Amino acid sequence: MTEAAKEALSQTNFGTIDLVIVVVYLLFSLAIGLMVKRYAGSMTNYIGAGRKVGPWLGIATMTGTELGLITVMYSAQKGFTGGFAAFHMALIAGVVTLFVGLTGFIVGPLRRMRVLTIPEFYEKRFSKPVRVLGGILLVLAGVLNMGLFLKIGSQFIVGVTGIASESAALNWVMVGLLVLVLAYTTLGGMISVVLTDYVQFVVLSFGMLLASCLAISHLGWETIVDGVTTQLGAAGFDPTVEGSGFGWSYIFWQIILAGFVGCAVWPTAVARALAMESERAVRIQYSWSSVSFTVRFLLPYFWGICALVFITATPAGEDLKALFFAPEGEQAPLENLYAMPVFLGRIVPPVLLGILVAGMIAAFMSTHDSYFLTWSSVITQDIVAPLKRKPFSTKSRVRLTRILIVLMGGYVLYWGIFYKGSQDIWDYMGVTGGIYFTGAFVVLFLGIYWKRTSSLGATLGLCSGLLMLFGLDPLQRAVGLKSGPKDDAVQILTEAQIGLITVGIAIALTVLGSLLKPDTERTAS
Amino acid sequence: MTWQLFWQIFLFGVLGIFAVMAVLVTILGARDIRKLIRGLKENDEDRENE
Repeated sequence: MTEAAKEALSQTNFGTIDLVIVVVYLLFSLAIGLMVKRYAGSMTNYIGAGRKVGPWLGIATMTGTELGLITVMYSAQKGFTGGFAAFHMALIAGVVTLFVGLTGFIVGPLRRMRVLTIPEFYEKRFSKPVRVLGGILLVLAGVLNMGLFLKIGSQFIVGVTGIASESAALNWVMVGLLVLVLAYTTLGGMISVVLTDYVQFVVLSFGMLLASCLAISHLGWETIVDGVTTQLGAAGFDPTVEGSGFGWSYIFWQIILAGFVGCAVWPTAVARALAMESERAVRIQYSWSSVSFTVRFLLPYFWGICALVFITATPAGEDLKALFFAPEGEQAPLENLYAMPVFLGRIVPPVLLGILVAGMIAAFMSTHDSYFLTWSSVITQDIVAPLKRKPFSTKSRVRLTRILIVLMGGYVLYWGIFYKGSQDIWDYMGVTGGIYFTGAFVVLFLGIYWKRTSSLGATLGLCSGLLMLFGLDPLQRAVGLKSGPKDDAVQILTEAQIGLITVGIAIALTVLGSLLKPDTERTAS
Repeated sequence: MTWQLFWQIFLFGVLGIFAVMAVLVTILGARDIRKLIRGLKENDEDRENE
């Protein structure tokens, strides 16, 4: 890193008082984890908070989980590169979540069946092998999906605090955050997750609102609009135009990804619905959460847009321009993921910055603990337990779940250091998550609403999700679907198109398999 | 209506609704936490009695 880059990155309002706020907040969270540890004895309590979560706490915990630091980072990146046009994904997320809340689409029947995980639904509806297959695909996709969380979260911390200028800072922050999350998650399970989600909701929602108001007052609305127009033109506002980086296939893909999957199929969100005290509570939770599902994308997009304008159109960000925008044919010294945290570090005043960073670290922890808990409990409940011939005691299940959480921690550290993909983080997540959700979305939907869906149809539908692997950047390049440098790559099929094709194939195979080999009365029961 | 105006109304509208929701969830969520802890304590006592 050049001296100019180090100098530019070290300019932040983050000071000692902010550090104290962050430490006190984290200790407080850890104390909550310790206090509720005694209630985590049974598996229902450990992974489902005893199914006693009320609607308002449900909204807080749903928001706390889904409004993670990773979401803030990848959304800001989309705002930075796509401008206001990126807002279409926030709109889709909100409208679809409201639709799910009003109709109970997918989550209502799941809650009525009193299942704890989606693969458990596969067994009740189809058969044990479908449950195990669903569990394996879910874990494969989920673990790949969260592979970059640690790195991206750490990039926020080092960017906003100014320590990005230290060369080894990123790796040390990754290790520190990982230790913190592992200690916390293995303690109290879902109960502590739910309680800290609430604290996080309170801190982060007010912090984000204030930071957004500050960004507008600092830059001025006119400057923001003019800046986006100058940098991106009409494509910075209209998501349907060519060159916006979006387009119609992307929008349709987002209806599935940011819409239905984000709220009704993705296990971490569904786990919240299944922990609710009643179906009515689930519907209230989803209807209100439609606002937070919009906000979790919208405000970070807006921060990304503000960072773009700050860097390209204001004198205060002049020194950052050369770091994020290189001359044609060259690579910029800094990843655009750093733009938003560096911007916040410069415009948000001390104390509020400390509260915001503490909230973001809490968001990071909350996402991680939910994901660790969800994937490890799927392995325990949906893969290991059904395959075991001997009785599998609650104590052994909780112990195995905790061991798996630690192993996953080692994996995210490894993946964060060694994975070298070049696609936007949101698109990476869409592709990896798609291995599971393209098939699961179809199988859940048809399994619930089409009586004739059979075990063979479900198996074929779930397996078709593996086609999404062709959306991964390194694999796309290996098979010739993509070539050229990152900023000027030629793609035969975009990630969105591969996703839509995979969903189409999953529908066709599920229907075909169900018609070819319907379940007999015995297997269906 | 232009895209610019549409996104402006969308942003400020959502900001307003979210501010109201944040206040509601903060107050009513605290009430739900008390209920949750009470319920888990009862579960605990039932298990001990069994």
